[in-house]
Amino acid sequence: MSLGKEFTKGIIRENPLFRLTLGLCPSLAVTTSVENGLGMGAAFSAVLLASNITIALLRKIIPDSIRIPSFIVIIATFVTLIEMIMHAFAPDLFKSLGIYIPLIVVNCVILGRAEAFASKNSLMPSIMDGLGMGLGFTLALVIISAFREILGAGTFYGIPLFGASANPALIMILPPGGFITMGIILALMNKFQHDAK
Amino acid sequence: MRKELKLGLFLLIVAGLAGLAIGYVNDITSPIIAEQIKQNKIDSFAEVYPGAEEVKDESSQYVKEEDGIVTEVNVAYKAGAPCGVIYTVEPSGYSGVVRTLVAFDIATQKITGIKVLNQTETPGLGANSEESWFADRFKDKTATQPLEVVKQEPVGDNQILAITSATITSKAVTEGVNTARQHYVDNFVQQ
Amino acid sequence: MKDLFIIIVSAVLIHNIILSQFLGVCPFLGVSKKLSSALGMGAAVTFVMVLASTITWIIQHFVLAYYEIEYLQTIAFILVIASLVQFVEMVIRKFSPALYKSLGVYLPLITTNCAVLGVAILNVQTEYTFVEGLFNSVGNALGFTLALVLFAGIRERLELADIPASLQGLPIALITAALMSMAFLGFTGLL
Repeated sequence: MSLGKEFTKGIIRENPLFRLTLGLCPSLAVTTSVENGLGMGAAFSAVLLASNITIALLRKIIPDSIRIPSFIVIIATFVTLIEMIMHAFAPDLFKSLGIYIPLIVVNCVILGRAEAFASKNSLMPSIMDGLGMGLGFTLALVIISAFREILGAGTFYGIPLFGASANPALIMILPPGGFITMGIILALMNKFQHDAK
Repeated sequence: MRKELKLGLFLLIVAGLAGLAIGYVNDITSPIIAEQIKQNKIDSFAEVYPGAEEVKDESSQYVKEEDGIVTEVNVAYKAGAPCGVIYTVEPSGYSGVVRTLVAFDIATQKITGIKVLNQTETPGLGANSEESWFADRFKDKTATQPLEVVKQEPVGDNQILAITSATITSKAVTEGVNTARQHYVDNFVQQ
Repeated sequence: MKDLFIIIVSAVLIHNIILSQFLGVCPFLGVSKKLSSALGMGAAVTFVMVLASTITWIIQHFVLAYYEIEYLQTIAFILVIASLVQFVEMVIRKFSPALYKSLGVYLPLITTNCAVLGVAILNVQTEYTFVEGLFNSVGNALGFTLALVLFAGIRERLELADIPASLQGLPIALITAALMSMAFLGFTGLL
């Protein structure tokens, strides 16, 4: 398989969120604004890329029987690093993402990619896979959060869209809005797939 | 047995390396974070009480068990003499604690400003308590009489207009301000 | 006593771990097709969550804080949870094959359940005392089980309903979850 293909598969065909529905927790919790969605996507991609690289490099050294605990330690290390860096250099984002940053550790996508891809492939494909999956996840977060922010707060990336008199549908940035948005997007994806057949 | 030992050793090395890496980055970032938290505190103090030369944390002297939601008392100094008092209060709002700063000026006995630091209220409703237009409704209120929340345009001097559809949050903030106010009157006003 | 009661009510109803905090959404959608498996998952999570947050609280306060290495929190907690799950699985398999049969399959899934790690971290972050933390984790575990069982009950009926093709499966489940979450929103302001 070519490197380009490894990169693009994560964006649409195997999009971790929309196609595989992995890693739902952060995608519903932090997508109340595009800024948060983008920030979460960036943090997630950085961890995924770093863990993919490390695991691809170490894949021949890590004994098979303890690979899962080793992966968890590696992922947790990168999550902690990202957490500290964000706390120091992007404090506002750190505050609004809160507990969901350390919870990247238990995001099934990262462990899933480590187990299913990086531990079986060499460095370059793993980098491509990490980049593609990260981008796909970020894209999905941005789509969800754009939907919710525009409808729920009447803004896009903090910029007001409809003028002061508009009364946005608050429910969309409250918890139920997360579930509704995800449900509708998945239904639309199903529909397009049906129509395409 | 030897195999298990080897595996354990491997995990130990991985965890050790991870710890080292994290410790190293922590050494770089922790001073920045500490500096930031300090700077934030100074900035918020300056926002609610502008013009102080020095602000000292005197919680140990003023905060007592029975004060309840008062968690911190900072005294602002100008030319060596206390000129203002900045309270941190933690009243309960609609869905959690609404951490608020309230500052009084000793000379005028008025509120110089309030600031909601931390809250988990409903976005778009109670969360608006963080906005400056709400904080401004408390500015220049006198410390000696209790404030009350109203839903129509206020008529009295001690009335605070509630945030639309967020009366509970407005009441919580006002409760915090009132508690700080009472504490201020009890401790800093000469009878 | 009153405070502990408030912590439980708040964790079960107001800040329900799934419906308002979005922790543990994966098992919520994954193991809610049948009422019996929902109950099994709920029991397994309750067991592990209470045990894990108790142990992590002790580690945080007597190991991490003692040596001033709080920055290793994430890594330490996830390792504790992972080994705990493994250990519990071994113990149950050895001593109660019947229990293992009903809970066993859910146990490995719990390691990557963000609810368990989430509650452990939240307990430390909100600076709960040991007893408060214990009540908070029991409350959250109950809230998880409650939401899961209610949801499974609804989904069992959905099986029989005539749903448009593109909404079948996850989409309708998510929309159902949204309606439940809306219902739980009604509990805010209860305290």
